[in-house]
Amino acid sequence: MSLIEFAQVLYDSETGTALRESIYAFPIVEGLHLIGLAFSFGLLMFIDLRLLGVFLRTVPAQDLLYSLRPWLLGGFLITIATGILLFIATATKIILLPVFYIKLALIVLAGINAIVFELKWGRNVDVWGTQSVLPTSIKYAGLVSLVLWSAVIITGRLIPYLNYE
Amino acid sequence: MSILELFKAIQTSDLSRFIGSQNHLFCAVAQMFHIAGLILLLASIVLVSLRLLGIGLPNLSVIQLSKATKWLVWSGLGLLTVSGIVIFVPAATNYAPNTFFWSKFILLAIALLLHVTLFRKVTTSENPNPFIAKTTAVLSLSLWFSVAFAGRFIGFF
Repeated sequence: MSLIEFAQVLYDSETGTALRESIYAFPIVEGLHLIGLAFSFGLLMFIDLRLLGVFLRTVPAQDLLYSLRPWLLGGFLITIATGILLFIATATKIILLPVFYIKLALIVLAGINAIVFELKWGRNVDVWGTQSVLPTSIKYAGLVSLVLWSAVIITGRLIPYLNYE
Repeated sequence: MSILELFKAIQTSDLSRFIGSQNHLFCAVAQMFHIAGLILLLASIVLVSLRLLGIGLPNLSVIQLSKATKWLVWSGLGLLTVSGIVIFVPAATNYAPNTFFWSKFILLAIALLLHVTLFRKVTTSENPNPFIAKTTAVLSLSLWFSVAFAGRFIGFF
């Protein structure tokens, strides 16, 4: 099955059709996608800014990392789940947009950055997390996260504008 | 002058003509600043509210968190206002009959009022009453999320 056929199956599915045909379903999913962003990217932004040393620099980084983790991961779950629903409802149109693939690639890169950070630094946060100025490679991880996730949001917001051209 | 006449005047103003003469991606850029502002604002409210509700950041004080996020809240609101004007002006008359447009601004007025009264009081006192602190956090989160939802709804109706 080709990508176009797969997208057509999703688009024609009960879920896809129901989302498009209901007056309220699509905007509600869009709204939840936005609220999910406030928790996921929003809370991660505070951690990234702390790693960079420009936000709450007197607070140990581990306090933010440990305490915000469940909330921001929950936020990512909401963002991803609603994102999948939005994709299903618009599949045949969205797969024709290069900006959609750029967004996906950026998500993968940001995800890799998060996993590398977790494996390399996340396990021994007790050792470095109490320092006020953090090692340079940790700062870079924060900067990369901030830049990549911002780019994800920018490309995401561009989707409807490039769609109607 | 009725609201519709006022909105017509806004839409035919020089500012409106200037925005309208830009590339259509100009509006997309305004939307990006709008979402950036919204994330700064909502994330800050979420961060402080988690602490007020006692479900996050136990080692930090409410005062410390509200001080650290204060400038983010106001820069967020600043970005939202400027980008919101750019989005609104060239299509002002389209918004006049939109129920969600008016709902959004009513909710926004209530959210702002709560923010500069109860929310400010709770986040600047050393030992706020826990019940009042939690109620304020729930009200604040509900109001700001409703503003975001109503805003997101405008474009669909």
